Amino acid sequence: MAAVPSTPLLKDELDIVIPTIRNLDFLEMWRPFFQPYHLIIVQDGDPSKIIRVPEGFDYELYNRNDINRILGPKASCISFKDSACRCFGYMVSKKKYIYTIDDDCFVAKDPSGKDINALEQHIKNLLSPSTPYFFNTLYDPYRDGADFVRGYPFSLREGAPTAVSHGLWLNIPDYDAPTQLVKPLERNSRYVDAVLTIPKGTLFPMCGMNLAFDRELIGPAMYFGLMGDGQPIGRYDDMWAGWCTKVITDHLGLGVKTGLPYIWHSKASNPFVNLKKEYNGIFWQEELIPFFQSVALPKEATTVQKCYLELAKQVAAKLGKVDCYFNKLADSMVTWIEAWDELNPPKGVVAAENDPAKSK
Amino acid sequence: MSLEIQDSEFDIVIAALQPNLTTFFEAWRPFFSRFHIIVVKDPDLAEELQIPTGFDVKVYTKSDMGVLGATSIDFSGHSCRYFGYLVSRKKYVISIDDNCLPAKDNGGLIVDAVSQHMSNLKTPATPFFFNTLYDPFRKGADFVRGYPFSLREGVECMLSCGLWLHNADYDPMTHVVKRNQRNTTYVDAVMTVPIGAIMPVSGINVAFNREVLGPVMFPALRLRKDGKHRWDTLEDIWNGLCAKVVCDRLGYGVKTGLPYVIRSDAEAGKALESLKEWEGVKVMDDVLPFFQSVKLSTTATTVEDCVKELASIVKEKLGPQNAIFAKAADAMEEWAKLWESHGAQSS
Repeated sequence: MAAVPSTPLLKDELDIVIPTIRNLDFLEMWRPFFQPYHLIIVQDGDPSKIIRVPEGFDYELYNRNDINRILGPKASCISFKDSACRCFGYMVSKKKYIYTIDDDCFVAKDPSGKDINALEQHIKNLLSPSTPYFFNTLYDPYRDGADFVRGYPFSLREGAPTAVSHGLWLNIPDYDAPTQLVKPLERNSRYVDAVLTIPKGTLFPMCGMNLAFDRELIGPAMYFGLMGDGQPIGRYDDMWAGWCTKVITDHLGLGVKTGLPYIWHSKASNPFVNLKKEYNGIFWQEELIPFFQSVALPKEATTVQKCYLELAKQVAAKLGKVDCYFNKLADSMVTWIEAWDELNPPKGVVAAENDPAKSK
Repeated sequence: MSLEIQDSEFDIVIAALQPNLTTFFEAWRPFFSRFHIIVVKDPDLAEELQIPTGFDVKVYTKSDMGVLGATSIDFSGHSCRYFGYLVSRKKYVISIDDNCLPAKDNGGLIVDAVSQHMSNLKTPATPFFFNTLYDPFRKGADFVRGYPFSLREGVECMLSCGLWLHNADYDPMTHVVKRNQRNTTYVDAVMTVPIGAIMPVSGINVAFNREVLGPVMFPALRLRKDGKHRWDTLEDIWNGLCAKVVCDRLGYGVKTGLPYVIRSDAEAGKALESLKEWEGVKVMDDVLPFFQSVKLSTTATTVEDCVKELASIVKEKLGPQNAIFAKAADAMEEWAKLWESHGAQSS
C-alpha cells in the first residue's frame, strides 16, 4: 500500500491571525502546532495595554494606534472593540494562507483521545479541491479512505480550488444569544468525522473562531464589517464576511469546505450582552438572506475586488432602506478594498509609503 | 415540531436478488420484526426464497407483477423493489439491499437503521440555509449563530438517504482502481441536502414518504446492459435526481447521512468484468447540464404534475442525445399511470 504523504507545513506561506483584547495565554497549549508559524496579533481595545506574547513565537502585533497610523483615514473601516478588527491582520499579511482563531479556543481531542492538529487539517482542506457542483454523499472525496460515489459525474471529479476551510467547535457551541439563553447547559460533544463542500448556491453561517482561507484566492472578500463601538450591531462580523465570501466564491468557481477540524471552545460569552449586540442583526438578517440569495454578479467581475465592489454597490442600493447602517457599511466595504489594494499591490509594483513591513 | 409517526405507517420493502435471505433477516430481526415487510423477488431469480419465520412478510414474485397488465416498466434486478413501492399501502417505506446488515456505531452499538430513518422523516429538513452543526433537530445540537430565525421551522423531510460501511457504493471504475478500499469512517451526522444542490441518491439504504413521493420513485433509467450489481445500474441515481428536482420545486426536504448499514463485498471482485461494456461512464456527464438547469413551472404544484412535466422535458432535451433517455421519459410517464391505477391508495 502506498505511504500516506505527510501534509506540508507551509510555515512560510501561512500566517496565523489572532484578535485579542485580554491576553494570549491560550497560545501555550497551541505551541507544538503554532510555533513554526508567523503570528499576526491584532490588539483590540486600549492600545496602551501591553499584551504579552509567550516566548518563542515569531509575531507582529498591531494595536489601534498602529492601525490608524498605517491606514490613516481608511482606518475607519476597521472595527473597534470587536473581534472584527482581526481582518486588519488579513490585510497586512504577506502570506498566501491565513488561519484565524479566537483566544478562547484550545486544542481539542479526537474520539481516540489524540490531540487534534487543527492547522494541519485546515491545510489539508485548503490544498485539496472542493466539490461545489454536485453533492458527494461520502463527503470530501479527497480524504483518505473516501472517494466519489456511484453516480458522481466524472467530468466534475477534478473539483474546484478550495478558498475557505471552516472548522467547528466542541464544548461551547457557536449559538446565538436566544439559543444560549434557552439552552445554557448545552455542549457540543458530537465529533462528526467529516469535511464537506458547501454546494454552490447555498449560504451558510461562517464562524470566525476556527477559520482558514487562501488569501490569494479570496482575501479581499474577508472583510468583517463595521461592528462594536459606535455601531448598532455586533456578532455578525464573520456572518457578513461569510455571506459575501460565499457569493463571490460561487461566482468565481471556488469552493468552501466545512467540518473538521474541531477546536475546543472554552468560553461562553455573556448571553445578555450578546443579545444586545445581536438584536438588530436578528431582524436585519431576515432581509440580508434574501438579498444574498438573489444577488447576481456580472460576468465582467472577474476578480475578488471587482466582485466585492459590485456587492458594495448593491448593498447600498438594496439594503440602505433596511437601515442607514448599510449605507455606512457599503462605504466601508469600498474603503476596505482601497486599503487592501494599497497594502497589497500587484506583484512587481512597489508598496505604498505606509507599508507596515517598512515601518516595523 | 416532530411528526407523530407510528410503526404501522411503515412498510419495509426488500428486493430479493439472492435466494437465501436467512442471514439477512436474522441479523435485522430485532429491528424488522415489528413491521410489515414486503419482499419482492427478482423476476430473473429462479430459486425459491428462503426467509426465516417470525416475520410479517408478504412475498411478491414475477407472477404477481402480472396484476399490472402489460407494462413497459422493467422490474428485473434491483428494479424489482419498485414493484414493492406500488403494492405497499403504507405512508412510508424503508428499503435496504439484501446484502446489507446492521452496522455498529463508533461506540460499538448496533445501529437501528429503521428507527434512524423514521427519525429523519419525522423531524424537519432545512434546505434553505446550511446549518454547520448539521441536523439542528438532533439531540445535543441546534441552529448555529447566524441561522435566520424565519427558516428554523424547516420543511417536511420526504426522503432519507442512508450510507454504507465496508463496501461503499462506488462506480465500477473506482471499485477496480481502489479494490482494497473499504469505508471505515462512521460520520455521526444527518444533514439536509440544500435546495438546488444535486446529489446521487443510492438505493441501497433509503426511506421515503410513499404517499407523497411515490409518483417520482420510479425505475426509469436503464443502461443498455443493466446488470445485477449495483455498479451496473443507475436507476436509483436517476430516480434520486428527479426526486430532488421535485422536492426542491415543492419545498420538501431530503436528508443524507445516518443511518449506516454494513454492506458485504461479495460483488467487489467482479467490477472489472462490468467495465467492458459499462455505459454508465458517460451517462452522468450527459445529464449533468440538464439537471443543473432544469426548472419546473410554478403551475406544477403536485408530485404528479412535476413528474409529468419533467418527463416531457427529459424527452425533449435528453431524448435526442441517447435513446436510454427517451425510454426513461416513457417509463416515467408509464409509472405515473401505474401509480394512479395501482399505487396511489394508502390504508
